[in-house]
Amino acid sequence: MDFNLMIEITPLLVKAAWVTVDISARALFFGFFIASVLVFFRTSRITPVRWLARAYISVVRGTPYFVQLLLVFYGGPAVGLRLDPFTCGVVVGAFNIGAYMSEAIRGAIESVDSGQNEASRSLGFGRLETLQYIILPQAAGLMIRSIGVLAIILVKNSSLVSIISVIELTYQAQRLIGSTYKPLEVFTLSALMYIVIIYAVMGIVEFLYRRATRYTFL
Amino acid sequence: MTQSTETPMVELKGVKKRFGDLEVLKGIDLRVDRGRIISIIGPSGSGKSTLLRSINNLEVIDEGSILLDGAQVNRPDLKGLAFERHINHIRQNMGMVFQHFNLFPHLSTLENVTLAPRKLKGMDAGSARELGMELLERVGLADKALSYPSSLSGGQKQRVAIARALAMQPKVMLFDEATSALDPELVEEVNRVMKGLAEEHMTMLIVTHEMAFARDVSDWAMFMDGGVVVEANTPDHLFSHPEQERTQHFLRKHLGAPA
Amino acid sequence: MEFDFSPVIEYFPTLLQGIGVTLLIGLAVAVMSVIGGQIVAVITLYTRKVVNWPLRFFIWLFMTTPLLLQLYFLYFGLGELILIPAIVVGILGLGFHYMAYNADIFIATIRSVSSGQYEASRSLGFGHVRTLFYVILPQAFYRALPQLSNNMIIMVKDISVLSAIGIGEMVYVSQYAISVTFRPFEFYITIAVIYYLINLMMEAGQTWIERRAAYRR
Repeated sequence: MDFNLMIEITPLLVKAAWVTVDISARALFFGFFIASVLVFFRTSRITPVRWLARAYISVVRGTPYFVQLLLVFYGGPAVGLRLDPFTCGVVVGAFNIGAYMSEAIRGAIESVDSGQNEASRSLGFGRLETLQYIILPQAAGLMIRSIGVLAIILVKNSSLVSIISVIELTYQAQRLIGSTYKPLEVFTLSALMYIVIIYAVMGIVEFLYRRATRYTFL
Repeated sequence: MTQSTETPMVELKGVKKRFGDLEVLKGIDLRVDRGRIISIIGPSGSGKSTLLRSINNLEVIDEGSILLDGAQVNRPDLKGLAFERHINHIRQNMGMVFQHFNLFPHLSTLENVTLAPRKLKGMDAGSARELGMELLERVGLADKALSYPSSLSGGQKQRVAIARALAMQPKVMLFDEATSALDPELVEEVNRVMKGLAEEHMTMLIVTHEMAFARDVSDWAMFMDGGVVVEANTPDHLFSHPEQERTQHFLRKHLGAPA
Repeated sequence: MEFDFSPVIEYFPTLLQGIGVTLLIGLAVAVMSVIGGQIVAVITLYTRKVVNWPLRFFIWLFMTTPLLLQLYFLYFGLGELILIPAIVVGILGLGFHYMAYNADIFIATIRSVSSGQYEASRSLGFGHVRTLFYVILPQAFYRALPQLSNNMIIMVKDISVLSAIGIGEMVYVSQYAISVTFRPFEFYITIAVIYYLINLMMEAGQTWIERRAAYRR
């Protein structure tokens, strides 16, 4: 291994890794709102609204993220949608992960025992109050963990935006492999950075999980 | 039951309920006066739990009407949010106790009791705490105020659940097989709390498997089977001299062991 | 906004070829990753640390880094050492990636089966190896099926990524057509629809397999 080279390219890769974090964090943030709206739609009383949300989720989950990215970036201008590569990565990432996240949120909510809902309603709490005081606090733990899994997928998926020339970690790695002809060194370093990012996500998730489920340890 | 002229606390008129093709309540009439304690017994699938849950609108009845202190509970004329508002208000006057306790696991014992008065009645934290401690004292669990449900025994959980229901100062308490999920040695502590309520003249409807307790605590006992009230009488009469064959058969099977 | 799908129709034979390559790769990777995953899982669970620690490391490495980065490494790394066709690199890359994911599942299901069944089988007089092959692995396989089929559904979607290293699946063959016709929207929509149809069929297959396998679990 050429350690001098590795030291030399580290700053470039760190900078690129930051772009990976940035793009993933933004997509996660907006994805959460999209997911919440989808969950809301899926439980709507209006049938077409429910149906629309289900169709959206099915289509997004049933097609490759990579193709969605290419479609929006290269095909977008045909329908008047011009996005710069970074924004495109955030937008497609958010809309993609939102579909998966809505299922995760719904699953977490449904995992709460139905007796909890009955007990709350029998006291006189309405639907939203029951959701706020009783269901969500109990669903939070599972929700955080499932969203954590999706956040990790999001980080790994963000490597695909290298195809539309966002200078993130995988893009930089590929370029450096091409210019240095040292695939092992470049791969080792960039893999290490992905691992650090992913373990950081796992750490944050575990911290939030413990906070949300403190009552089970008391 | 002796009829009085005052408004009954709970009144059911011709209540029918279907689950798909199965009719589980085939026209139930019932009148419960203030301070009365009614036991409902019967085999599983007789409709006794459905009846109790219907009073709380946890099951929506198909026909008939249910009244709580003169106010109609089921309101087929109200839709959507209007019904939501109506039923939330009605439910605040009823305390329901479930077979599986359904305590809120993310809240401490005290918070379980005080959540509803604080959020629904706007009670301030101090008064709610006072009320909560008073109720926990009453069910003998003041020392567990800061514990979480996961650390309580079944009997303790059910006593907290009773305190939680009482916190809204309900006009009537509904007990849906409150002791069925408990280990035999834990039944007594819950029964004692319920007996205490009876002595304070709380109006109660008790669905139960505990024949001895039903006989001991209630003013009136009903035997249900197949979605109808087969027989209703004073507990002494119903348990000692059942008139209907179905009642006799059921009691023979269940009075073997004294509870 | 005007859509013109006639270029898509004109290039449909090329696209069809791309579909063929996609399905072929999918099949090869499925076979490789399921069989390989099971072998890796067994070796990981039943050998000395010297053997299984490197395997555990590779499973972990494949699961914590992005597919595309792995593909680039294989493509440029292997490509430097020996001359192999891109499609082989693609199948190997995707195959190893999903072999790791499948092995991870098999390790969990083999563990869950063997806790009770191992002793039962040994008490009947079966040896260690026979117990593994007659009792543990078949049950572990059926238990793994739901997650396994999930992985395969995700894997097929990932075949599109192979276009990045020049493998002639649907996306790659369309890119040439797009560069000539300037109709990216129409082509990518078509590809999305085709993937969606494949996905629907696989989901139907998954339901069918799970219903049949339910008896055996």
